[in-house]
Amino acid sequence: MAGTIKREQTLDKLFAAITFLAAFMVLVIIVSIFTSLFRESLTAIDAFGFFGFISSTAWDPVRENFGAATTLYGTLITTLMALAIAVPVALGIAIFITELCPKFLKPIFSTAIELLAAIPSIIYGMWGLFTFAPLMGEYVEPALQGIFEPIPLLGQLFSGVPLGIDILTTSIILSIMITPFISSIVRDTFALTPVQLKESAYGIGATRWEVIRDVIIPHSKTGIFGSVIIAMGRALGETMAVAFVLGNKHAIATSLFDASATITVTLANEFTEADTDLYLSSLFYLALILLGMNFLLLAIAKTFLARKGKA
Amino acid sequence: MSDSIMTVKNLNFYYQGGVHAVKNMSLEIKKNQVTALIGPSGCGKTTFLRCFNRMHDLYPGHRHEGEILFEGSNLLERKDITELRSRIGMVFQKPTPFPMSIFDNISYGLKLKGIKNRAELADRVEQALKQAALWDEAKDRLKQSANGLSGGQQQRLVIARALAVEPDVLLFDEPTSALDPISTSKIEELMMKLKQEVSILIVTHNMQQAARISDQTAFMYMGELIEVDKTETMFTNPKEKLTEEYITGRFG
Repeated sequence: MAGTIKREQTLDKLFAAITFLAAFMVLVIIVSIFTSLFRESLTAIDAFGFFGFISSTAWDPVRENFGAATTLYGTLITTLMALAIAVPVALGIAIFITELCPKFLKPIFSTAIELLAAIPSIIYGMWGLFTFAPLMGEYVEPALQGIFEPIPLLGQLFSGVPLGIDILTTSIILSIMITPFISSIVRDTFALTPVQLKESAYGIGATRWEVIRDVIIPHSKTGIFGSVIIAMGRALGETMAVAFVLGNKHAIATSLFDASATITVTLANEFTEADTDLYLSSLFYLALILLGMNFLLLAIAKTFLARKGKA
Repeated sequence: MSDSIMTVKNLNFYYQGGVHAVKNMSLEIKKNQVTALIGPSGCGKTTFLRCFNRMHDLYPGHRHEGEILFEGSNLLERKDITELRSRIGMVFQKPTPFPMSIFDNISYGLKLKGIKNRAELADRVEQALKQAALWDEAKDRLKQSANGLSGGQQQRLVIARALAVEPDVLLFDEPTSALDPISTSKIEELMMKLKQEVSILIVTHNMQQAARISDQTAFMYMGELIEVDKTETMFTNPKEKLTEEYITGRFG
């Protein structure tokens, strides 16, 4: 009897130790990734500093002069534009599915959105390069140029030779990739709006649209915000699809029809070419900055959600 | 007896799938009185109540038959449902403050009606909060979120919100079942006072509540109206055996 109890206690302890080890591995991995990135970046940090690195538009492997401004710019502009396109579309999808869609169509649309999220990014890249980019370059972009180029200031965004391999095409493809994340999370939070709350709004004479705008969306603010952060993280880190359609050009582009480069694409393309220590170290430095950006984003989201949770 | 504000004639209601939830009901809703609907769970009280503001229209597949006469026409056939709903307000079991400030909650219905003048909005908000006996507690925190109020305060806020659009009828669906006794008595006092301005129809599981606050009581059982009478008569001298059994607590 005493032997059984003793054995059970030992098993319990063993089990606790195994689960702790599993959880601890996560910490170890994160810390070691950070440390190794930082160590590899040291040469570049010594050479360029922090503000010097992120504000410099140089990317000259021959003279060994590197800066992060161009790739940071490319990363941020494509991500922000993708969000600008994806957020309204995704909200529309979520509203349609939860509030307007006939019941028998709901599973069809819901599954279609989940399928969209399941497409590997390399396939988006291939489709982008061979189908979508030529379409953009041949029809959509010249048409946009015709409309907007004559307008002062705004015209600048639509200047240049529309080739299809550019910021606009990349942003649209990224937006297609992140839309499913936003819309499926938002759909779930919309569905959590209490029925009586919606009926109360209908009950004082609100129309369907007014109920959506004034009750359902404000009630789901936290979920919407969270989904946007997740989507943003995904867009910042996306590599494969972007590598196909952005053109990998290190310059601050002022036109949406210009090629650009993101941090991820630069890393994917240039590690094999990095023949000097400083070049290699600068690439690691870029990776460190990207990781730092993602951490910051997560931290903002966490504090915001924690504050909302208390209120 | 005073005049009727609404007359229900041979009302039938079928849920999607054919469940016959309200069976051939006819009932007069008296003006400036409180009409209580009592009956065991699942007898169709709430379903019946939700016919008055056409809440069932939000869900396809349901079907009404019969008439509810309101201002000379059958409200079941009216096309301007949003206008109808602002005339016939509804208060639910659980308080349902909107995710906005106290002021915005009350003024919401007014804004929907197109009232934009700030002074007028402020006046109407104050008036509604006073009517709902919430003004003293809320006047210093109008800009704060309505979620910060207690459950009983939230329920009075919801009543104020419904009152702000000056309805003719207020529907209450077990408005105190989620509240403590003190909040409950405040809401009951409020309802008795409010009947001077609006006609009230309340669904309740609490028979003492029906006896305390209503002028007329209707007893429903399995979708049918068994008996309707003045509350006093109903609780002291019911005509139907089933009513007597229910109000004396023998079933339900």
